[in-house]
Amino acid sequence: MRGALRPGARAGLVGGAVLVYLALVGMLVKFEELRLVGSQVTRGRLLLVLPPFAASFFAVRPRVIGGRVEQPGPGVALALGAVAGALVGAVGSVGLALVEAIGVERIRPVFVAVSPALVETLTFGRGAAAGAAILVVGGAALGAAGGIWRAIRHGLRRPVEVGLLTVVTLAMLQRIVPFMLDELRLERDWLYSRATRGLTWTGAVVVLVVATAAAAYVLDRRERRALAPAAEGRPEVRGWRRTALVTIAVVLAAALPQLAGSIVSEIMGTVGVFLLLALGLNIVTGYAGMLHLGFSAFFLIGAYAVALLTGANLVTAFGLVAPRFSADLNFYLALVLVVAIGAAVGALVAAPVLRLRGDYLAIVTLAFAQIAVILATSSWLQPITGGPQGLRDVTKAPLLGLEFRSAERFYYLVLAFCVLAVFVSWRLAWSRVGRAWNAMREDEQVADAMGVPTGRYKMLGFAIGGAIGALGGALFAVKVGTVQPGSFEIIQSITVLAVVILGGLGSVPGVVLGALVLLALPGLLSQLEEFRFLIYGAVLVAIMILRPQGLIPNVRRMRELREEERTQDAWQQIFAARQEREAAEEAAEAAP
Amino acid sequence: MSEEATTVRRLGRVERLPTRRIVLTALSLGVGAAVAYGSYRTLTLPAGARYSGSAWRDFLVLGIAQGAVYALIALGYTLVYGILRMINFAHGEVFMAGAFGSFFFADAWKESGFLDRRPLLAVLLLVLIAMAVSVTVAVLLERIAYRPLRGAPRLVPLITAIGASLFLQNTFRGLFGAQTRGYPKPRVLEGTWSILGIPVQRVQVIVLVVAGVALIALTLVVARTKTGKAMRAAAQDQEIASLMGIDVDRVIVTTFVVGGMLAGIAGVLFALTFGNISYFMGFAPGITAFTAAVLGGIGSIAGAAVGGLIIGVLQSVGPALLLTGIHVPSPFQLKDVVTFLILILVLLFRPGGILGTGEAEKV
Repeated sequence: MRGALRPGARAGLVGGAVLVYLALVGMLVKFEELRLVGSQVTRGRLLLVLPPFAASFFAVRPRVIGGRVEQPGPGVALALGAVAGALVGAVGSVGLALVEAIGVERIRPVFVAVSPALVETLTFGRGAAAGAAILVVGGAALGAAGGIWRAIRHGLRRPVEVGLLTVVTLAMLQRIVPFMLDELRLERDWLYSRATRGLTWTGAVVVLVVATAAAAYVLDRRERRALAPAAEGRPEVRGWRRTALVTIAVVLAAALPQLAGSIVSEIMGTVGVFLLLALGLNIVTGYAGMLHLGFSAFFLIGAYAVALLTGANLVTAFGLVAPRFSADLNFYLALVLVVAIGAAVGALVAAPVLRLRGDYLAIVTLAFAQIAVILATSSWLQPITGGPQGLRDVTKAPLLGLEFRSAERFYYLVLAFCVLAVFVSWRLAWSRVGRAWNAMREDEQVADAMGVPTGRYKMLGFAIGGAIGALGGALFAVKVGTVQPGSFEIIQSITVLAVVILGGLGSVPGVVLGALVLLALPGLLSQLEEFRFLIYGAVLVAIMILRPQGLIPNVRRMRELREEERTQDAWQQIFAARQEREAAEEAAEAAP
Repeated sequence: MSEEATTVRRLGRVERLPTRRIVLTALSLGVGAAVAYGSYRTLTLPAGARYSGSAWRDFLVLGIAQGAVYALIALGYTLVYGILRMINFAHGEVFMAGAFGSFFFADAWKESGFLDRRPLLAVLLLVLIAMAVSVTVAVLLERIAYRPLRGAPRLVPLITAIGASLFLQNTFRGLFGAQTRGYPKPRVLEGTWSILGIPVQRVQVIVLVVAGVALIALTLVVARTKTGKAMRAAAQDQEIASLMGIDVDRVIVTTFVVGGMLAGIAGVLFALTFGNISYFMGFAPGITAFTAAVLGGIGSIAGAAVGGLIIGVLQSVGPALLLTGIHVPSPFQLKDVVTFLILILVLLFRPGGILGTGEAEKV
């Protein structure tokens, strides 16, 4: 029996550690204020509920024992889950007791997040003893719920999970969705409360039911289609459906500023800029398979180039001064030059290091990007780049008398270029070049042996990626109106990398989704900004371990995986048939 | 036969077009000329604008001291790379963790006067605390982020390491706050000691002594103990090592422990030398130390030490020597450019490093 409970104990301790971490790093308190459903469910409480639930969910996971998958029965699941959840609460209580014993004021100089508000959150405002009891008992209850939840059949569980996720998402988007409903003149008071700003209980229940039903329908259909024999030739994506999806996406994207107002347009403008960068990186890293850690360099080059080519000014102690080298070109002419510069720099940087192995190549790109930032900041190049203060008065990209500085207009500008970049990426993927990259990514030596000039294609990848990245930089400069080296630190490279990795290397829809999740969400969800990079780091680690193919995997890779599965299935069928035959023969022999 | 041979020779000549070699030679000549010109101009500046001999000596000593710190960090990269063939990008954060962990004790002891009353004991304890913190972080890192990825394609652990680095930085930011903090120094260590008639900053003497002891201890452990033997075996061939009865997983953990210990020591020494710590302090020394490891020949312990010293000296002497003469304002802003250029040049010309095999393994 003790041995049987061990997974629960382990998961409970890990969950407890996670709970303590969330508390100490400051998330619990910071997230407390946002009300999601009614006035009872806040984001902080949701975060508090997650560790025991998740711990027991993991503790009760099916295990492979002796070559067979074993799912614990409901009773065991309940016990295991309760143990795990209670342990999470117990670890939390021990933490609370420590805080009480030492005193909040004495801990605070070291752990800055430990505050009376944190203690208040963890004890539910009822004092230490009662708080600890609530944590343990509540943890056990949540854990038991998590365990039972895991024991429920997958087909039943999944739709409800989708439903819950929809409710939470809608509740989190409380700054935008009600606004959109108002714009559309739809009644919204049944869904979003005006007092708490979050969902009302009625609204939440309706959304849950509708989303669950829809998910159940879709998942059921998908499963049935997946079970259909491959011989019937199920198409990957049907033509008309893809067209419809793309049309809907384009219409939505075009109507967004009208529907959602300028805050959302502003955020989506940033998303667009980073989407361009991510599409560029996707070509280098996703298509051609070369990890680029210094993509912010193209961002920087694009921004500075467009600023210098269109007559931006330096900020100095003596007021605004023209930089030592500058031109006063039309923005769109300059943009052509910027793209060319980006491509040239990409290829030139790549040329000498192409022979390096993947991880060394990555570090060299990082080194180049750091050099670019340091040079842009330095006093040496101050007469050109403006040093730390940078350049001001970047062009507003006038086109036929229209200026693109306001959030809504800039959104359309960046949307146009994003559509263009998506189109280019998509066409490239299935072109001869794309196939060459694909071959190179899968196995460079084999590609070489098959006659793919890998060096040339690598340089081409860097050049195209650099061009798109520089385009993103140029648009960023237009958006902000100033160019400062601080905007192009290495962290931007890692942000872009996280976008591409989360979405799925080499998958254009994945990259779009990744940009929306990683860049739009922190902007839309208040208070997430502070933990943005923490979450990016966690996302990079978690994705690489749990789902290296990303959220929306590259179609071609997916197909390869499926092929493998099918072959495996075929082998299994043959194997099973042979076993049956042998068993029959044995039986025949045994019978006299 | 002869006809065939000529064809083969011709084909060979066509394939080995020396463009790359020409470009590299031109590049190396250009770099050499720039270095020579810059140094010449700096050394022939008019007497008033020139650095004095003692200034150069101070640069050199500072360079050696910070080089020793880089060497300690570089060893962490080199050891892990030797066994796992991965760049542990988050090692800079392991170093930062040590400095941060010991800071709170140093601060409290400064307040209570312990740091000034028993400086030797206090610094020793700080080093031990920093080692403990760094080792904890390094082992957790290995267990949570890297172990699930054994045998994954090479770029996967690198991306994970980058994520872990970002995660650790922001964890420390969340836990302990974003501000830069002053790291207290025992009063005894202010000022200079005269060594062989040369005045040397006292902190730098301590740094050199501690780093030297750590390096010697590490060399002995790797060369003389059974654990060290197991580490060397695993570095050569994990599979064969495991067949010989070596628990490779344990050796890997040991490697992270050793790397973490050295990083912890480096953290305290760095904090004592520069007097400031922040959650972001691991990045630049981390990259610099990685450069040192590559320069010395990644995977080689002596290489990491040599590379660290060279990079340290080049960082402190290089900008002044090369850039003052050609009138670049504030040359020390560009010291990291020196590091990164060295990294790029080493990878171009001798990817195996100074003490490496000369030929980097390909693909």
